[in-house]
Amino acid sequence: MNQVWIAIVAIIVAPLIGGLLAGIDRKITARLQGRYGPPLIQPFYDFFKLLGKTRIATSRTQFIWLYGYLIFMIAALVMLVLKQDLLLLVFLLGFAGISFVLAGFSCKSPYSHFGANRELLQILAYEPVLLLMALGVFATNGSFMISEIFESSTPLLAKLWPIFIALLVVLTIKMRKSPFDISTSHHGHQELVKGIMTEISGPYYALVTLTEWYELVLVLGLIALFWANPLWVEILIALAAFVLELIIDNINARMTAGWMVRFTWAVGLVLCILNIAYLYFMKGVS
Amino acid sequence: MTLEWMLAIAILLPLIAGILVFIIRQYQLRGLIVILTAAVLIVNSIYFLKIGLPVEYTPESHMWGTIITILDYAMLLFYIYVGLSLKNWLVFIFALTQIVPLAWWEFGMGASKALEEIKPAFVIDQLSVVMVLVISIIGSLICVYAIRYMFDHEHHLNLEKSRQSRFLFWLVMFLGAMNGLVMANNLMWLYFFWEVTTLCCFQLIAHDLTKEAINNGARALWMNSIGGTAMVLAMIYLYQTYGGDVEYLTVSTIIQSGGAEVLLLLPVALLCFTGMIKAAQMPFQTWLLGAMVAPTPVSALLHSSTMVKAGVYLVLRLAPAFNPLLGIMVAICGAFTFFAASVLAISQTTGKRVLAYSTIANLGLIIACAGINTELSIAAGILLIIFHAISKGLLFLCAGTIEHLIWSREIEDMEGLAEKAPLTTFITAIGMLSMFLPPFGMLLGKWMALEAAYLIPLAAFLFILASAATMVFWAKWLGRLLQVLPRLGRKLESLSLSYSVPLWVLVLGIFVFGIGVAPVYEKFVQFAVNNVIAIGNVFTEGWNIVLPGGAAAFSRVGVELLGSYPVWPLFIVFAVAIVMPLLVIGLKPQELRPVYLCGEQVGDSTDTDEWISAGDEKAKLQLGGYYFKDALGEKALDPWVYTVAIALLVIMFGIVLGVGL
Repeated sequence: MNQVWIAIVAIIVAPLIGGLLAGIDRKITARLQGRYGPPLIQPFYDFFKLLGKTRIATSRTQFIWLYGYLIFMIAALVMLVLKQDLLLLVFLLGFAGISFVLAGFSCKSPYSHFGANRELLQILAYEPVLLLMALGVFATNGSFMISEIFESSTPLLAKLWPIFIALLVVLTIKMRKSPFDISTSHHGHQELVKGIMTEISGPYYALVTLTEWYELVLVLGLIALFWANPLWVEILIALAAFVLELIIDNINARMTAGWMVRFTWAVGLVLCILNIAYLYFMKGVS
Repeated sequence: MTLEWMLAIAILLPLIAGILVFIIRQYQLRGLIVILTAAVLIVNSIYFLKIGLPVEYTPESHMWGTIITILDYAMLLFYIYVGLSLKNWLVFIFALTQIVPLAWWEFGMGASKALEEIKPAFVIDQLSVVMVLVISIIGSLICVYAIRYMFDHEHHLNLEKSRQSRFLFWLVMFLGAMNGLVMANNLMWLYFFWEVTTLCCFQLIAHDLTKEAINNGARALWMNSIGGTAMVLAMIYLYQTYGGDVEYLTVSTIIQSGGAEVLLLLPVALLCFTGMIKAAQMPFQTWLLGAMVAPTPVSALLHSSTMVKAGVYLVLRLAPAFNPLLGIMVAICGAFTFFAASVLAISQTTGKRVLAYSTIANLGLIIACAGINTELSIAAGILLIIFHAISKGLLFLCAGTIEHLIWSREIEDMEGLAEKAPLTTFITAIGMLSMFLPPFGMLLGKWMALEAAYLIPLAAFLFILASAATMVFWAKWLGRLLQVLPRLGRKLESLSLSYSVPLWVLVLGIFVFGIGVAPVYEKFVQFAVNNVIAIGNVFTEGWNIVLPGGAAAFSRVGVELLGSYPVWPLFIVFAVAIVMPLLVIGLKPQELRPVYLCGEQVGDSTDTDEWISAGDEKAKLQLGGYYFKDALGEKALDPWVYTVAIALLVIMFGIVLGVGL
């Protein structure tokens, strides 16, 4: 029963945190660009305004996949707060991503398709890193269970710092920030319009915004796992990663999709592999 | 029913039914016989669950041995004839490399007398029963589907003389040979059934008698004949090494060695190699890709329940006889195939080729599981066999149905299929989702395999890359089907019963087996695993499949769980996420709008996909998929793939010979 309560609290609190972080994002970004920026809770105003709009769609099936995106993201988050299997969590996150891609594909719109294809390339780029993270956690703890991470006295960061760096790259992709804001972005771009979001509007757009808040909290949660004890360091490390992303976003230009895949595979995967190979090697020696 | 009768029904009934459908030229009657045979086979296969396992059986009369020997030579002589008449020297050579050693061994060396004494001829354990169920149930459904499909197929080709009888003969007989294969214990009999499946496969691929069909059939024939040759050599080696002791010519004796006997290593590796060829592992993948020219029921049968599954079955069966080094090499070969095939699938533009590469990839995964060779990985392998058979069977039947709707196999032609054929698209989408996403069984198998792969990090790494590539090619294809204008859903298309019954049964199977995976695991798979390897236990706990920490050497203190997988909750999540919105929410026509085309639309109707192009010309909006032919196409990757795959095989045999000598 206890677990059910934890899950319910997480489902309610996560979007509040996510929305607030989005507000902080807008504020800091504005300041970095020499603007004043909207109020901190502007994302919530936007969200409720979108919810109240008339329902419009360009495809009769798109909304199914948008619900899939939301619900599977929540499921992944629940896996995290209940300290379940990390590998399975990554697979659930994968379903959420694929569901969003299918939403993009399910209307006959060139911009939506651009975005969906690029979103798919993003999955190709970050999915192996996330799975390798799970393998790295296994190599340190001997288990794929998140609960085991909390049992450990030394933080994961000590042994898995290369994987941590790779995960920061994934965070940038997941937050759709420069240089990886290629499937859609927070600002309209000419050739892309709004990418995969082009055909999503009104309440459905609110749905996607909500999902993105969950996603942000989830990925920051994964980052926090790298210093799971004590709690205040956990929160601090997640916040630090978040602020770092904002700075990276503002000092970088947008790159191409091909560049993204090459970069993540060349840097991210190599970091992960070296990390895991080293861990296995040390096990072999001792 | 006695065991004798059950075996007779499983193996001989398809042969008799095959002969009957071959003789009968009337469409309805022939269909009725196929349906009855399918029903009897399914019931019979379920009866196998009721007997105490494992059981042994050897026919009393020596007559069967003699018949099998005669048929062995008849088949090999037929291969020689095929080689000569097609002037295909590879077929000819690899038929000779089988028949010459075999004849020399049996008659030149006088082994034939001793070979009659091999006992027991059949050993039926849980693994065999799992295979028999897969073959009899899914294989039979495909045969039922074939009745109508071949009728439409010939109608489309405008053939003067119907060849449906011939087709159904080979199709139905295939099931009997497969049933024999998975229960045979005597290696000589195993070899016989093995050859029958090769023969059926050749006949079915070449069925349409086009130049391409015959060539591809011949390729399947000679590649699998290499496997046959390896099997013959393994048998002769065993006979010679043990000084004419035929006891070692049974699967059960080989397995009991537990990988400890050095002398057994080479024959085990050879048999494994045979299995890998039949499972179309790289570098032998081309025969399965070529098999795509055949009518779709053939592909469905080859990919889901027969032929390639014989290959993975043999490797899984032999897993206990691997020594650790051989195991690692088999695992890496399998994992490499999984990876390479998944990446190559991204660049494919033909639907059936994507399916083919996906099959090759999943077979690689299963073989890698056998190579990892722990209780957990073997369990994963068996689960993957079951779930892959259901999902892939369904997908091929869908591909066939789509082909008969649009008369094309190209993915680009399937664009917007959700509009033309919502029902077929719905079923296809379920099939595709079930191949790679939670909560379905294939993902459960993959998850277990990945958690088991920690012993061999290189294999785990290849699994991970392959798993990412898998998502891309499925989502890409599914996206093409789903791309529609808002007018979707005016009316559902109607499908013939012979199409829709197998389709819906398989869809039902995906959900029933997916949701009930815990009881399925406890009732079937667990014992199948324990018959192969008797250590530890993967257990089920309420809603979860729980993996105990087998990584004692790796872990700190007190680690109890390796991982856990909540089955039912995930299905509930799926129902809430996808099924509920589908049923509950419907958009009203006035809520639909045309897509954004920078204001260049022609008119403002919802269903228009015309826009004003350069020079004020009207043009239809056309969208295409990404295939990355330059980077990931066969032309770019094949040289690398072949180099690595061949090198891996050479290393494998190098190690085996190095240890053995």
